[in-house]
Amino acid sequence: MKRGYLWLSTVVVLTLIVAACAPAATPAPTPPPEETPAAPTPVPPTPPPEKVTLLFSDWHLTEPHWEAALIDAFETFKAEHPNIDIELDYVSYADKETKYTTEIEAGMGPDVFHLHAYSIQSFLGKGYLYDITPLIEAEGGDDFLKSWYPQTLALMQDSEGKYYAMPGDFMSMVLFYNKNLFEEAGLDPDKPPTTWDEFLEYAKALTRDRDGDGEIDTWGFGTIGAIDPGFELRVSPILFGHGGDYLTPDNKCSALNTPEAKEAFKFFVELVTVHEVVPPGVTAQNPGTVREQMAAEQIAMLLGSGWTPPIVDGVNPDLNALEVLEAAPVPVKAGEAPEFSTTAWLSTWMINPNTKHPEEAWELVKFITSKEMEQKWFDDANVLSPRQDVSGEYEPLLSNKFAAVIAAELAHAKFVPQIKEWPQIIEAVNTAAQEGFTGAKSPEQALEDAYNRINEILSVYREAGETCPAF
Amino acid sequence: MNKRRARFLVFKAPSRQELEGYAFVLPCVLMLLLVLGFPVTIAVLNSFTPLWSEAKTFTLENYVKLARDDLFWNALSITLRFVGSTVLLHLIVGLAVAVALNAQIKGHRFFRVIAILPWTVPDVISGLIWRFMYNPTSGIINDLVRSSGVTRSYIEWLAHPRLALPSVIFSDVWRGYPFVMIILLAGLQAIPRELYEAARVDGATAFQEFRHITIPLLKRMIIISVALDTIWQFRRFGLVYNMTFGGPGHVTEILSLYVYKQYFRYFNFEYASAVAVVMAVIMLIISFPYVRMIVRRV
Repeated sequence: MKRGYLWLSTVVVLTLIVAACAPAATPAPTPPPEETPAAPTPVPPTPPPEKVTLLFSDWHLTEPHWEAALIDAFETFKAEHPNIDIELDYVSYADKETKYTTEIEAGMGPDVFHLHAYSIQSFLGKGYLYDITPLIEAEGGDDFLKSWYPQTLALMQDSEGKYYAMPGDFMSMVLFYNKNLFEEAGLDPDKPPTTWDEFLEYAKALTRDRDGDGEIDTWGFGTIGAIDPGFELRVSPILFGHGGDYLTPDNKCSALNTPEAKEAFKFFVELVTVHEVVPPGVTAQNPGTVREQMAAEQIAMLLGSGWTPPIVDGVNPDLNALEVLEAAPVPVKAGEAPEFSTTAWLSTWMINPNTKHPEEAWELVKFITSKEMEQKWFDDANVLSPRQDVSGEYEPLLSNKFAAVIAAELAHAKFVPQIKEWPQIIEAVNTAAQEGFTGAKSPEQALEDAYNRINEILSVYREAGETCPAF
Repeated sequence: MNKRRARFLVFKAPSRQELEGYAFVLPCVLMLLLVLGFPVTIAVLNSFTPLWSEAKTFTLENYVKLARDDLFWNALSITLRFVGSTVLLHLIVGLAVAVALNAQIKGHRFFRVIAILPWTVPDVISGLIWRFMYNPTSGIINDLVRSSGVTRSYIEWLAHPRLALPSVIFSDVWRGYPFVMIILLAGLQAIPRELYEAARVDGATAFQEFRHITIPLLKRMIIISVALDTIWQFRRFGLVYNMTFGGPGHVTEILSLYVYKQYFRYFNFEYASAVAVVMAVIMLIISFPYVRMIVRRV
């Protein structure tokens, strides 16, 4: 009895394991119908198409105003496409790459998902993206794409010109400031700083003891110093605004050895170390904590974009952020008018190559990126669109005090380098900034180390014997 | 040929009892092979594959790169410091609390529950809680330090290169000491009370009792707890990920975090696999004394 039970349990476990590993059962082939003489039989009604469920994943779902907007929009989509249902897949901003990488490697994952534009090259290199070129061709190709800004479409392609994604949110980084704190500090809120020298003067004036206890409790500027994907959006405007860049045009070497880049980096680090216009603990500050500082009036200025006012407003409704905050172009170097003075944020909508329903997934991407929906994303979430017929024409957007500045600055915005090594490169810069902020290294030494590390990363693009100049 | 070697050459059919034993462990072994063996095999194969290449040819380039990678050696050094400090402190704090809780005081069961609570908090949650507490301007720790008059400046616990690692270690000691404490408390309760009574009759002091009775009889439990804790600490990830993400600079970048960054942030799957394989080998070496002890007991 005992022995029989043991063998039985072993067989059951083995059967379960084998069953779990076995491919899904396929229906047995049915024999072809026998030929029968044609008879005038009535044509049966076409059965309704099989109901398909798409898994939609987006970090926006974790932001209440975005979640409401997306759920509302999907009701419209489902009414227009009764055969398609949508299941929501929530993911945090910090974990999205980890989640999608793991799931797609395992042959699973959401049908449609949302990422930064710079992730395209990494995901493409690993085969994680569905080629949507035939789907775009079927919609009319260039005629279909003519509504989008060309610079956003260029980032959606591989070296052969095939499309692997559609552009999502498209915004420039601008300077946000609290006009009440400006007035308290004796600054004119209608005259935000236009040069970096002015910016520094303003930041010093805004760094002060507001409650009179002898301690500084409000700082002029809040920025990100933690190792965080949001770091690049805060440091790039300062780098580009000083005329510097990360890489040489051929992407073979770092360009952080130029005088402009050195000056920009020193300026950025000294905001913390010399001028002390940034709250303590900058290397632990991420986008969320900096926005919390803005909501608590601990800082007076930050670099942000369309998402900033609604999020700050959500953190502290008492501040009345939509009224108190103002937006202005990112300052530039005194006496210069650089072609690029800020950076652009671009997200993308992608289809999983593991999807079993590419046609339906494309319908959803088309819907999300349609003119009507792009207008809705602005109305509900304050983000700008990669479509020219929205960001360039939609009246509520052009008359909005934040969006008008962000849209105007798109002309001066530059994308960060779009290469698959970008996450490593920006982390080297981020680490250098931390080393500078904490005094572990001088700004020059920290930047030189980052320069050498980036050149080491880029060595795969250089021919044998090809070298980069010394720092 | 000696007797021991000859014994291996003689095939002896397993008894019915032995077969039953094998049958009991077979499902477990098969499941382990499935959930552990498969990913380990894939990781080892990956580590011998060229970086970012579709061609699955054999190469040692990832291991050569690793040997020359300053950040890998930095991560290994940080890991050894982190593991060494936390394991030692877990042992000291765990032993002290276990001895205190072993005393037959009123409400000792309640205090045991309180002492074990940090162990029930997930790594991620405790990382976030400590990050908030360490916040320079709004954290409770700086509030206490500043209000006590020790200093008026904002101490940058997680942002200063010299304070970040000790701050993370302190949080980890809070989080991890109950594991050691439970093992040692079980060991303490197994020591016969008569031994202490006899020692007292002989005039032994409390320290002498501790040194000559408690420690020798607790030795095996101490070895087990240190070995297990070392393995656990070597794999620690969530706490550091949430508190510092390896920063500032690379001063808190432990090996598990370095593997994570290489895999999920840089997509260098093959190189990350090589680092993970080296990490696994180091862990095997560290756990060898423990495994040997278990095997000897069996």
